[in-house]
Amino acid sequence: MTGRFEAPDRVDRDEVFLEYTKSICPVCKAVVDAEVNVRDNKVFLRKRCRDHGRFEALVYSDAQAYVASTRFNKPGTLPLATQTEVRDGCPLDCGLCPDHKQHACVGVIEVNTGCNLECPVCFADSGHHPDGFSLTDEQVEAGLDVFVAAEGEPEVVMFSGGEPSIHPRIVEFCAMARDKGIRTVVLNTNGIRLAHDPSFAPRLAELDVCIYLQFDGLSAATHTAFRGRDLRETKSKALERCAVAGLRALLVAAVDATVNLGEVGAVVRFGIAHPAVRGVVFQPVTHAGRTPSFDPRHRLTNPDVIGALVDQCGDWFRPSDFFPVPCCFPTCRSITYALVDDEDVIPIPRLLPMDTYLDYVTNRALPDPSVRSALEALWSAAAVPGSPTLTERLTTVLGDLGLTDEGKDLAAAVLETCFSCGIDFPDALADLAAKAFMIVIQDFQDAYTLNVKQLMKCCVEEITPDGRLIPFCAYNSVGYREQIREQLSGVAVPAVVPNAVELADLVVLSRHGSRTVDPDGTANTNYVQVNLGHTLR
Amino acid sequence: MTELPTLAALSQIRDDYRAGAAGDADAAKSCCAAVYGIDLVSLFLGESYHPGGIELSRRIANLTALRPGDEVLDVASGIGTTAIMLASELDAVVTGVDLGAAQVARATARAADAGVGNRAHFEVADAERLPFDTPAFDVVICECALCTFPDKAGAASEAARVMRPGGRLGLTDIWVNPDGLESELAGLAGRIACIADARPISELQAILETAGLRVAHVERHDDALAATIDLVTTRLRALRLLDLPLLRGVNIRRAIDVARLAADAVARGDAGYVAIVANKPNDAGA
Repeated sequence: MTGRFEAPDRVDRDEVFLEYTKSICPVCKAVVDAEVNVRDNKVFLRKRCRDHGRFEALVYSDAQAYVASTRFNKPGTLPLATQTEVRDGCPLDCGLCPDHKQHACVGVIEVNTGCNLECPVCFADSGHHPDGFSLTDEQVEAGLDVFVAAEGEPEVVMFSGGEPSIHPRIVEFCAMARDKGIRTVVLNTNGIRLAHDPSFAPRLAELDVCIYLQFDGLSAATHTAFRGRDLRETKSKALERCAVAGLRALLVAAVDATVNLGEVGAVVRFGIAHPAVRGVVFQPVTHAGRTPSFDPRHRLTNPDVIGALVDQCGDWFRPSDFFPVPCCFPTCRSITYALVDDEDVIPIPRLLPMDTYLDYVTNRALPDPSVRSALEALWSAAAVPGSPTLTERLTTVLGDLGLTDEGKDLAAAVLETCFSCGIDFPDALADLAAKAFMIVIQDFQDAYTLNVKQLMKCCVEEITPDGRLIPFCAYNSVGYREQIREQLSGVAVPAVVPNAVELADLVVLSRHGSRTVDPDGTANTNYVQVNLGHTLR
Repeated sequence: MTELPTLAALSQIRDDYRAGAAGDADAAKSCCAAVYGIDLVSLFLGESYHPGGIELSRRIANLTALRPGDEVLDVASGIGTTAIMLASELDAVVTGVDLGAAQVARATARAADAGVGNRAHFEVADAERLPFDTPAFDVVICECALCTFPDKAGAASEAARVMRPGGRLGLTDIWVNPDGLESELAGLAGRIACIADARPISELQAILETAGLRVAHVERHDDALAATIDLVTTRLRALRLLDLPLLRGVNIRRAIDVARLAADAVARGDAGYVAIVANKPNDAGA
């Protein structure tokens, strides 16, 4: 036919729409709808605030891995008690509320806001400011009691801050946690007191405390960028004292693409070689509190850290060695363990079919249920290397090297035979398990990346003296941190806004070094210039 | 190739040791000697494992267009993993044959446990002399076994003989380019990856054609073999670290090196894993 209207071609969207969820406005923290989309094999979270417009952030730089990890999502465990009721909906009812999907693997108690450093990067906005707080024995005890009531026998409590080691009662707090039956006590520290106070490490060793040592890299430039000064000698001395006292340490590195992504391999090599170090934890810089300015679309995510590590330690690791953690949302955290001696580094996930054991969606008969539960304890936020429980679990996994039933029967018979000759195979396995080195990659959410779907299954909780267990990522981004600080210090706390490049015109420096909405800003009169904590329960 | 001792044999060794005076040096020595004789690799991989695992078994069943109710022969059925899968997931009626009586007993018990004892049964038989008089099978499956049969042509003709006209053979096996392999790979690596007596793909096809079958489909799964060798290598490395006194007589470092040679051979395309489907023509034997 002639003269027919020539319709324009329809055009496809440039992204795959994956999820519809909730998040918050990074400026006013209002709860807003959000969508998760895949573009160029990367996963982005996008949302729109009625007052402040659209925001988009990169949440996972490997879309294929993001989607594939869905099946490693373990059904959550109900806590013995929850602390709040459902009223305003996630993330405003923290917590934990009865809608939360997981119990607390780790309880964090921030014992103070004061710090003997004033790092350019600090999600807690800590430092030498006089307007902070320092918890009393009663407050810490109240928090521990809430944790025990919720968990029965809590797995891990972590004392943090501020800098917890400068709290005069910190050793007593660790002892108190042990007395309450908490299996593992972790101290999150910059290492300065460990280095300078010779009596500190032995006192902690008596309580079998695990040291979570801030350790970003081996170059002076990295130290200066993240900590404001070169702390290499201090770190070295702190680790030496740990080794002498028999304290086990995990190195904890904040990672940024422009600062120390090129050093992650060196940190792992350093850790494997050091007698006190049992593992390394890499955390892409959390854009909460005090941070340098950043572009939310180009932030670092877990697959980037794994990629860099594999590039720098290709002789030891490949990406598939880093297996998603099923207890939280699988994209939050990936872990590997390796057997190490001075000759070889052997990633444990290569020894057994991890994806068969930890697939909770495909309903298949398991080769051995006891191996699944051992793996669940190892691939968990509560896993702290060197603890007796963990070594026991590793022994179970290593004892299951055989894939098949008949292989296992045979192995058992061989071992029993050898046992007659006085060779103790379980001991040999336990020795091997004790050589395991742990690597954790953990991306915390901020006000840009917050996805309620992940938050609802968070298993790392801030324990507050008023008796709540608030998911760590909600604590840092929704306004709970400001609320608690204000409540405990009695001094008004401005609402923290991420230091994103695109928000530069709207924010000013807060007195703690983070950003807050410009109180004199005239660009948009709808800005909610309050601590959102005022409106939180 | 070192034979894997049976559970019964090991129990006997243990009982003999216990019967003797505790601390009897000779008894201890013979006990350890028996343990040294164990094929480490078999111990760590078991006997039912083959490259590609159960996923490749499903794939080969799919390629042979296996339908519910089909009568299937699994040659070298081991402990019955594939046969049980075919019976339970695809409603096939499966006969498994294997040379090992212990394997057959094990497979029978596992099928009963899986609730498919009525659709999967197992008997001791030689692949080169199958105990079936008539062409009774719609599908014959043979996984990672042809490379271990001394008379490959004989095994292929036997498979063809017991297939119904129009029947399908699903074969998976290791292949090698014999000119591309280091001489060292004939020995230990043969044990690690069955490379020792594997053939090129063209020769496998010729063996099937000579047996009267028509090759309908060939697909390579070289990555599956690479993954198997990787698994074995990693376990050997862990075994070295474990440093069991009973393994001190075994040169594990050497085994690791050879396993790495095998991995290199797969990486450069001189060895791999292949799935072949061959049909028995409808007029065959008419």
